[in-house]
Amino acid sequence: MSRVRVALLSITLLALAAVLLAPSTSQSQSPKSGGVLNMMLREDLSQGFAIHETSTISTVWPAMPCFNNLVLFDPLKKTESAETVIGELAEKWSWQDNFRNLVFFLRKGVKWHDGQPFTSKDVKFTFDMLREAPDSPAKLRINPRKDWYSNIEAVEAPDQYTAVFRLKRPQPSLLLMLASGYTPVYAAHVPPADYRSNCVGTGPFKVKEWRKGESVEFVKNSDYFIKGRPYLDGLKYYVILERSTRQAAIQAGKLDVSFPGETTKTAAEQLKKAVPQLVITPFSQNVADNIIMNMKKPPFDNLKVRLAVSHAIDRRALVQAVHQGGAVIGAGLAPKPWGFWGLAEKDLVGLPGYGAKAAEEKALAKKLMAEVGFSAQKPLKVEIATRAIAVYVDMASFVVNELKQVGIEATLKQIDTAQWHATATRGDYQIGANLTGVGPDDPDANYYENYACGSPRNYSFYCNEQVMKMFDAQSQELDPKKRLALNAAIQKRLEADAARPILDWKVDYFTVWPHVKNLIPHQSIYNFGRMQEVWSDK
Amino acid sequence: MKTYVIQRLVIALLTLLGMSVVIFTLLRLAPGDIVDILFSTAGYVSQDEKTAIMKELGIDRPYWVQYLDWLRQILTGDLGKSYRYDQPAWQIIRPLVPVTLELAALSTLFAVLIGVPSGVISAVRQDTTLDYLLRVFSLAGLSMPAFWLGMVIILGLVTWFAWIPPLSYVSPFQDAKLHAVQFLLPSLAVGYRSSALIMRITRSSLLEVMREDYIRTAWAKGQTGRVVIWRHALKNAMLPVVTVIGIEFAFLIGGLVVTETVFNLPGVARFLVQAILWRDYPIVQNLVMFIAIVVILSNLLVDMLYGVLDPRVRYGG
Repeated sequence: MSRVRVALLSITLLALAAVLLAPSTSQSQSPKSGGVLNMMLREDLSQGFAIHETSTISTVWPAMPCFNNLVLFDPLKKTESAETVIGELAEKWSWQDNFRNLVFFLRKGVKWHDGQPFTSKDVKFTFDMLREAPDSPAKLRINPRKDWYSNIEAVEAPDQYTAVFRLKRPQPSLLLMLASGYTPVYAAHVPPADYRSNCVGTGPFKVKEWRKGESVEFVKNSDYFIKGRPYLDGLKYYVILERSTRQAAIQAGKLDVSFPGETTKTAAEQLKKAVPQLVITPFSQNVADNIIMNMKKPPFDNLKVRLAVSHAIDRRALVQAVHQGGAVIGAGLAPKPWGFWGLAEKDLVGLPGYGAKAAEEKALAKKLMAEVGFSAQKPLKVEIATRAIAVYVDMASFVVNELKQVGIEATLKQIDTAQWHATATRGDYQIGANLTGVGPDDPDANYYENYACGSPRNYSFYCNEQVMKMFDAQSQELDPKKRLALNAAIQKRLEADAARPILDWKVDYFTVWPHVKNLIPHQSIYNFGRMQEVWSDK
Repeated sequence: MKTYVIQRLVIALLTLLGMSVVIFTLLRLAPGDIVDILFSTAGYVSQDEKTAIMKELGIDRPYWVQYLDWLRQILTGDLGKSYRYDQPAWQIIRPLVPVTLELAALSTLFAVLIGVPSGVISAVRQDTTLDYLLRVFSLAGLSMPAFWLGMVIILGLVTWFAWIPPLSYVSPFQDAKLHAVQFLLPSLAVGYRSSALIMRITRSSLLEVMREDYIRTAWAKGQTGRVVIWRHALKNAMLPVVTVIGIEFAFLIGGLVVTETVFNLPGVARFLVQAILWRDYPIVQNLVMFIAIVVILSNLLVDMLYGVLDPRVRYGG
């Protein structure tokens, strides 16, 4: 027998053995079809399924299964980065002209839930609407993420299955924003307002019934373009306003999954004690506690006062006292391993408020306050505004106490939810205790929304042309290492300017019953609700 | 009687008109509006966009125009459109009404079934151990808020039986048994508190009547205890009790917020609070009017019952 024959025989035998042995290891993990997943909502869908008109997880989480994006962060991977972006409505994509043009090659045979075919016309319609192109045939009532698309010069549809995004300057991050749960493609033949009451998507699930204030139910889209998906027959989201009832429902097994961003460390510990088999996964909510200071008005137009505030707040104590350890300290972006871009603990040292010794930080704060004429005897009196919701008020109360120790006498002013964003956007406040959620864990999504000159969500009115140039530079940087370094510098600069001092990044303890498979929390609560890959081993 | 009812209905209409002014005004006095909330979910505010949405919803018009428009809508049976859901308000309100009516009626029923007999026993066995026990039982009911009791029930069920009632409304035609279970626990939690009040009123009212001359006469004539108490005394003692029952029922229509929330029942009160938070004027205005109508009707019914219970009560004239 020749050597070639022996080699071929060996390969064949090995392949045979692999096939024979494979079932024993993978059978227990091969997905099963069928079943309905029961989930919770802490409030009814804010504006129906109109994801493009809201910035809340209360809409994104239950509406995501109805839609598809062009691309999406891989539901089966925890990390969100350019490497984990997979195609959805786009079969593949290609950066051209040195990241100035992004070309999407679309899937064929995809249908909207009403039977109409999906084409590049829908892509052009959606993104022209989002970037508010002058010739856009539709306009959103509220467009919270317009800034994400400000670098798009034109969206073209050269043929039915190709869409081209022409950019003003290179922006590799655009792909990540397109992969967020906040970026579904709408149907061009459906008025955007209709999404507030119903959902015509291409997604793995179709809306069966929305009982207002009670529940929203989905059924499997049997025409889904990926054969064999979704695995589940349906999804049901129950609106449960009372937190203790939500917890009781998951403990009793009436619900299979917790709400993203809902489960604190303490609650998770209680649940685990009551039901040891529950699977609890800590992950970053990509939501930061932070301080907003109105730089348009004194005294916070003065950098020394802002820095004194930043030095005064002991981040580590806040994490323990308010979050019982269920948060991590970090600067402008979530730190590793919770996020990708954030400064590591060693890089935080030396930044205002991040010193290991709280007493030293407070002494620095007092010194800065003394330099501007304030002391314990002659305190600076301010009103600290916050949203009248427990998660805001708890953190704000801690901040009030910290400021008192450095000669800032702050009184807490709770502002009704209806007024909170209006107050912050108008600048009708001096200093505020705020929470900021970021869609994808990406610098562009965060910087242009929260720190850029003129952005409506830049509540502090921080505007630094030099820093804006740094934003653009990192956004265009194609070398990942260089971009990481640029981002480290930006975060340090933002903290040194006390632009919006970050206090901590919150951690969620996502809880599921063990029979729930393939529902993997990401680095952000906003991006893993598609449910296409989820199956039930019940 | 007929004249009396007509008079009462006219007064009821005037009351409702007054209520409509109060509801409308109070809602507009509350800071913020639906557009602020919509922007709140988006995390920013744009004044131009806000103005456009206000115009779209018609809340940029003068208040008096909005008020008259609402009255016109009520008279034509069109309750307007929910700002939040962009759907006819009636479509949203309709499923909520039976849930709350059933919960309130069942709670009242439990309250009467527990409160009246225990009040009678407590009065008849005044100053005995049984009386003291029943009084403690009622005092406990008055001291425990229904929502707290509800939470304890839920936590007890989940801890000991790993079970809680259904999370969404189960129609009796869908599953009668589950429907009964769903309403039984909240009704008992609410009914217990109301029964305590009814028990105390029944007891004190009955004790007062038992000291009347005609009761003494009945005893002297050798009537049995059952006849004296249930036929002569209780019937006359029921006037204040019926009043309390009527008030309690009316209160429950709008006052079950926390119970509906804890037991996750999609009723009027729970939805009303959400609608207020969203400044969804068409929903709030019409739900409060619905509650007002129920309160007025239940008061009217109580007044009618006075005539049945006590022939001395005369209407009209």
